[in-house]
Amino acid sequence: MSLFQFYAHNSREALTLIGQHLYLVAVSTGIALAVGVPGGVLLTRRPAWRGPVLGLANVLQTIPSLALFGFLIPLPFIGGIGARTAIVALVVYALLPIVRNTYTGIAGVDPAVREAGRGMGMTDGQLLAMVELPLAAGVILAGIRVATVVSVGTATIAGAIGAGGLGVYIFRGADMVNNTLILAGALPAALMALAADGLLGLAERKLAWRAR
Amino acid sequence: MAGAVTGGRRLALACGALLAVGCARGDRVVVGAKNFTESDLLAELVAQQIERRTGLPVERRLHLGGTFVCHRAIIAGKIDVYVEYTGTAFTAILNHAPLADRDGVYRAVAAEYAERFGFDNTFAIVVRRRDAERYGLRRISDVAPVAPRWKAAFGYEFLERADGFAGLARAYGLRFAAPPTAMALGLTYRALADGKADLIAGNSTDGLIQALGLVALEDDRHYFPPYEAAPVARADLLGRHPQIARALDELAGKISEDAMRRLNALADVEHQDIAAIAREWIARSLP
Amino acid sequence: MSAVLDVRGARYALPQGRVLVEDVSFGVANGETLVLLGRSGSGKTTTLKLINRLLEPTAGEIRVAGQPTYALEATHLRRGIGYVIQEIGLFPHFTVEANVGLVPRLEGWSAERIAARVRELLALVGLDPGVFGGRYPHELSGGQRQRVGVARALAADPPLLLLDEPFGALDPITRVELQREFLALQRRLGKAIVFVTHDVREGLLLASAIGLMHEGRIVFLGTPEEFRRSEHPACRAFLAAAG
Repeated sequence: MSLFQFYAHNSREALTLIGQHLYLVAVSTGIALAVGVPGGVLLTRRPAWRGPVLGLANVLQTIPSLALFGFLIPLPFIGGIGARTAIVALVVYALLPIVRNTYTGIAGVDPAVREAGRGMGMTDGQLLAMVELPLAAGVILAGIRVATVVSVGTATIAGAIGAGGLGVYIFRGADMVNNTLILAGALPAALMALAADGLLGLAERKLAWRAR
Repeated sequence: MAGAVTGGRRLALACGALLAVGCARGDRVVVGAKNFTESDLLAELVAQQIERRTGLPVERRLHLGGTFVCHRAIIAGKIDVYVEYTGTAFTAILNHAPLADRDGVYRAVAAEYAERFGFDNTFAIVVRRRDAERYGLRRISDVAPVAPRWKAAFGYEFLERADGFAGLARAYGLRFAAPPTAMALGLTYRALADGKADLIAGNSTDGLIQALGLVALEDDRHYFPPYEAAPVARADLLGRHPQIARALDELAGKISEDAMRRLNALADVEHQDIAAIAREWIARSLP
Repeated sequence: MSAVLDVRGARYALPQGRVLVEDVSFGVANGETLVLLGRSGSGKTTTLKLINRLLEPTAGEIRVAGQPTYALEATHLRRGIGYVIQEIGLFPHFTVEANVGLVPRLEGWSAERIAARVRELLALVGLDPGVFGGRYPHELSGGQRQRVGVARALAADPPLLLLDEPFGALDPITRVELQREFLALQRRLGKAIVFVTHDVREGLLLASAIGLMHEGRIVFLGTPEEFRRSEHPACRAFLAAAG
C-alpha cells in the first residue's frame, strides 16, 4: 500500500495522531515558555544563579530522551504512563534553549541603553517590558524555535508510553516491520518540524532588532 | 627432523586458516529473542544448551523486537535460531485463522520447528484483582458488561495481529469506552497497576501477574490458539551442524507452565540475571 | 535664590571598604552650571550618580528642590531629574519622537501633550521635528543623537539636569558645536545643571562654577575666573595640561 493510500484509508486516525502530537508539542512548549522566559529574566537579575541553573539545564539536555522518559515513569505525580509524563519530559528538553537564549538576549542589550533607562526613572518592570524584552525578542525567538523543532522530534517517543502522537505509527511500523507505517509517522513529524522552523524563523526575522 | 618440523608448521598454518574461516560467520550461531522476558530467558537457555552440547560459539541478540522483527531476521539470516510460539506462527506468521487444537497447530508449523518445550504461554487477558472481585470476573466473557466503562491498553503487536485485539473484541463482544491505548508492551503492566488502564493482554506465564496483584481471566470461548513454545532454526544451520538439532531436542517437554512462571518471576520480580537463571536451570534439569 | 540642588557631606564607600567620594558639598541654583572637573577616577561620575540615586550615598544629605532624595522613591526622583550620558543610550527600537517622549509617557501625559512637547524640544535642540521625528537612532549622526539625548532629558521639564561627559564621544568639531548650543540653551532655559567632564577647556567654557575633584574630594570650588587664578597645585596641573 502506498503512503497516499494509507492516509486515505486511515484519515481519521492519522488526523487524531497529528492532533495529539501537536497537543504534546504545544502544551510542553507553552509550559517551557512560561517557566523559561521568566527564569531567563531572573538569571539576568541574579547573576550568581547563572552558573548552577544553566549548568543544570545543560545536564538535563544531555540525558537521552528514551532514558528520561524511562526515569520519569516510576515517579509519583509527574510520572506514570500517558501524556502527562510525555509533557514533563518535553518541557525538560525545551527549557535549556529558552532559558539560555532569554538570558543571552537580555544580557546582550547595550548597557548604555539600560543605564539611560534607569537614569530616566524607569522601574525594573518597565525596563523589562519596554526595552529589554523587545530588544531581546529575536534571540528569545531563536531559542523557542530550537526548542519547538526538538520537541516535534522527541515527541515521537510518546508513542512508547501510551501518550499517542505520530510515534504510534512509527512504533507500530517498527514492530510489524512495515516501512509504510514508519514513514506515515515520520513524514508528518518532519513536515511539522520544518513548518515550525519556518514560521518561527519568519517571526524571528520580523522581530529581531539587529544593530546597524 | 627438519622436514617433519616444517611439515608440522605448514599443517598448523592450514588448521589456523581453516579455523579462521570457520570462525567467520559460518560457525557462529546467532540466537535471537523477542522483546519480552520469557523470550530472552528461553533464548539464553537455547544458547547455553548449544554451547555446552556442540561447543560452537553462540552470539545472543536478545530483546530484538516483536514477532515480525524476529521472523524477518531469521529469514534474512541475521539470526539463526529463536523461540517462537506455535499459535503465533500459525496465525500471525502463516496467517491462518486462529485454531484451538494444539497438536493440529503444531503439526502445521512443525516443518521448521524443533520439539516443543512443553508449556503453553497464551495471551492472558489481565485485570486488577480488586476489579475481578468487585465485578465477579473469572472469564473473559464476564468483561463484556463492564467494558464500556473501561480503558484497555496493549502493545503494538497485539493490536495489529490477526489473533490479537480485533478478533478478541469480536469473539467476546467487547466494546471499550475508547480505542485501546498503544504503548510499549513492557509498560502495559505498569499501566494496569497504576490504574491508567483497566485491562491488558499479558502472557499467561508472566511472573508479574502474581506479583502485582493481578488476575488472568479464562479464555472461555477458546478464542486464542495454543501458543506452545518451541525453538525455530534455519534449515541451513541444522544442515551444517545436525548436532544442534539433537541439542535442542534434549529440551523437549522439559518446562511446564509453572516452571516457566517461576523462571519469569526470578527475572521480572527478583531481578536476577538471565544468564544465571538459565545456567542454574540447566544444571538442575538436564543430564 | 534657593538652591535647586543642595549636596552636604556626601560620601560613597564600596561594600569592601574603598571610599570613592568623601565629604562632598556644593549647591546649584537655577541658571547655574556646576562643572565637576577631575581626572578619571577622581569620583566625579560617582558623585553625579549619588544625586539621582543610581548609587546610594553611604552618608550625607542631598536635597533636590528642597526635598531630601531619600524621601522619594528612586524612580520617582529620577523622573524629575534630567540625565544625559556619554554613550547617549537612545532606545534603538524607538523613533526619535518616542525616545524624547519617554518620561512624559511614563508620567501618563496625554498623547497630544506629548506630541506637542516633543515637537517643541526637537526644535529647541535644532532638529526639525518633521524630518527627524520618525527616524531611528541608527539613522542619525553622533551629534544628532546626543541632541536627541538632551531633548529627552528636558522632556518632563525637570528643574535639575545631570550630564556625564555628554560630548565625550563626539568628534572635536561636533563637540564645539554642541557646547555652543548648550550654552545658548542654558541661557534660554535657566536650569540647574551639574556637568561632569575631564576637559578643562569645556569646563571653563560652560561653567558658572567649577568643582575640581581629586581622589574623591572637592579640592576647589569657585568661579572659572577664580579657577584660572588659583594657586592650588591640582588646578595648576589641569591648566598646564590644557596648554
